[in-house]
Amino acid sequence: MITLQNVTKVYGKKDHTFVALDDVSLTIEEGTSVAIVGKSGSGKSTLMHVISGLDRASNGTIQIDGEELTTMKPRAIDRFRAHKMSFIFQSFYIQGNESCYDNVSLPLEIADVPRGDRRERVKAALEAVELGDKIHSRARDLSGGQKQRLAIARAIVNQPKILFADEPTGNLDSTTGEVIENLLFSYQRDNNATLIVVTHDDDLASKCNRQIHIKDGKILAQKGGK
Amino acid sequence: MKVSDITRRAVKNLRQAKGRTILTSLAIGVGAFTLTLSLALGQGMRDYTDTALKSNMNPNAIYVAKDKQVVSFTNGGPSGALKEYDPQSTDMFGMNVKTLGQDDIAKLEKVADVERIDPYYTIQAEYVTFEGFDKKYRSETNIYDPSVLVSTAAGTLPALNQQIGDHEAVIPESYVESLGKKPEEMIGKKITLHVVKTGKQPSDEEVQAALMTGGRDAVESLYGAEERNFEVTVRAVSRKSSTSFIASSAIFVSKTKAAEITKFMTSGTDQFEKYVQATAIVKDGASVDDVNAALKDTGYHTMTAEEMQSAMFQMVNVIQAIIVGFGLLALIASVFGIVNTMYISVLERTSQIGLMKALGMSRRSVAKMFRYEAGWIGFLGALIGVGLAYLAGLALNPWLADMMNLDDGIVLLSYVWWQIAILVAFLIIVAIVSGWLPSRKAAKLDPIEALRTE
Repeated sequence: MITLQNVTKVYGKKDHTFVALDDVSLTIEEGTSVAIVGKSGSGKSTLMHVISGLDRASNGTIQIDGEELTTMKPRAIDRFRAHKMSFIFQSFYIQGNESCYDNVSLPLEIADVPRGDRRERVKAALEAVELGDKIHSRARDLSGGQKQRLAIARAIVNQPKILFADEPTGNLDSTTGEVIENLLFSYQRDNNATLIVVTHDDDLASKCNRQIHIKDGKILAQKGGK
Repeated sequence: MKVSDITRRAVKNLRQAKGRTILTSLAIGVGAFTLTLSLALGQGMRDYTDTALKSNMNPNAIYVAKDKQVVSFTNGGPSGALKEYDPQSTDMFGMNVKTLGQDDIAKLEKVADVERIDPYYTIQAEYVTFEGFDKKYRSETNIYDPSVLVSTAAGTLPALNQQIGDHEAVIPESYVESLGKKPEEMIGKKITLHVVKTGKQPSDEEVQAALMTGGRDAVESLYGAEERNFEVTVRAVSRKSSTSFIASSAIFVSKTKAAEITKFMTSGTDQFEKYVQATAIVKDGASVDDVNAALKDTGYHTMTAEEMQSAMFQMVNVIQAIIVGFGLLALIASVFGIVNTMYISVLERTSQIGLMKALGMSRRSVAKMFRYEAGWIGFLGALIGVGLAYLAGLALNPWLADMMNLDDGIVLLSYVWWQIAILVAFLIIVAIVSGWLPSRKAAKLDPIEALRTE
């Protein structure tokens, strides 16, 4: 469970401040899919960064499974992220010059998973996104949809409890986008994981259990089950 | 993240940019090449000097002189200062030097642990002749040093510390070659040393007058010149050697024979029983340093084999330091190359770094990865430089040995594995230190900034 209480994020100093998040409180249950919807500059990305510990909140508290994120040391946050969370980005961020295997094994290396366990888990993750035959291919030779599937394999290989997806289908056509969406939702359902999707695509948002609309750093409206 | 995984990723990253990696390592390679060569050259020169000294000097011998110039390496040349007249002095290489008299020898012999004092006889034969040859030759004559065994081309030498017979001689191989003979053919042949004794020093006017009246004979008799032939038999021919200087260009006779010739040459002159230099032989088992100190305390100037060695090593070290300086300059230039390459690498891989940090890679691991990459570049450069230097040694050594007439298996470029290992380690450290700033930049990178696409 993720709990945010009165979270505020202010950028800049003194006269040149910009409030990206303004007193946000919310609770996300384990095993649900949540869409954070809003226009560009609304603060939806900042919300994701703050929850994932990539950014620090200026005020307020963030608890994930009972652990207080705002008082954790940077190294502890890094370790926390390596073991509990994962990311999917609009522009994939896969390493084109590396093999698919190396791309997917990176989170396992960062999380200090023993070498012997890695191969099986990488294979399983690649098979889950139907890239089992590409294990030794170079990532740059894949198509756009395949690249995002590879990114999903990398995101799920460490079996995170929380999966962040930042405009996961933004760079893809609708057919391939749908494949990606299905992969994300099925991982979330099968593993009772929490999926947090940041998007301005209402179609994708409507497929989530919950929609949180953000504007000017404030929660405007919430739909869907708690 | 495990060190092994970071290392593996660092190597992979370098492989992605092969051209850049190799070019950057080449810059270090230039420094490594120069440094390896200078190490090898210094080692080779020290080895050479060491061998040369060992085959020329008895470690138990201390050279003693009354005049500092005789035994000094650094203050060799005649100084410009005006010198007081000293009746106990003689000329050596155009320098007026103080000599050792019999009283000095007696004093030296009394110093504790001195086995004996060997005066240094300067024998100047007018000419020498070899049995079976009509021509007259000029040659230096020296005392055979029984404390240093030289290898022979023909004949045999007595055991170590045994003098050769009073009527025997050892000649160098080069003499035999100039005579056009084989070494074996010269064994048992007689050598005649024609020695001329010069008495007093007549004035120019006297010489002129004598020349006018009685010609050349009159002049010779005016000088009181006395001639005598000393005969010796060739016992052995010493082999040519690049390290044994003493064995290369003189006829060697026994100490007794040398004393006999010197006595004849100097008796009745002011040079009688005066020696420029003497050799103090230290008793076996006694400390050379102690005796050396004792001799110095008695007021004489001395030089031991060890002092000679350190003086020569000092010169070698200066030469080596100069070359090392050039190598270090090249290395400093390459440091900027590494810094530049690593900065570009960080910029190029901004999103990769951002992603790694988003996935929970710690700052320390990110910094380590870049430092290892720099370290690998250093290692690669060191391998290139050392490898090329080694090949250069393989190619140059025979040529250098030939050009400088080295033999006895001496190489001028001598590679010592532990020196090279230290050099490689040093270069890796230099590279890692150069990668420090870029790796810090990578570690400090804000993942949100790095992953921003808009």
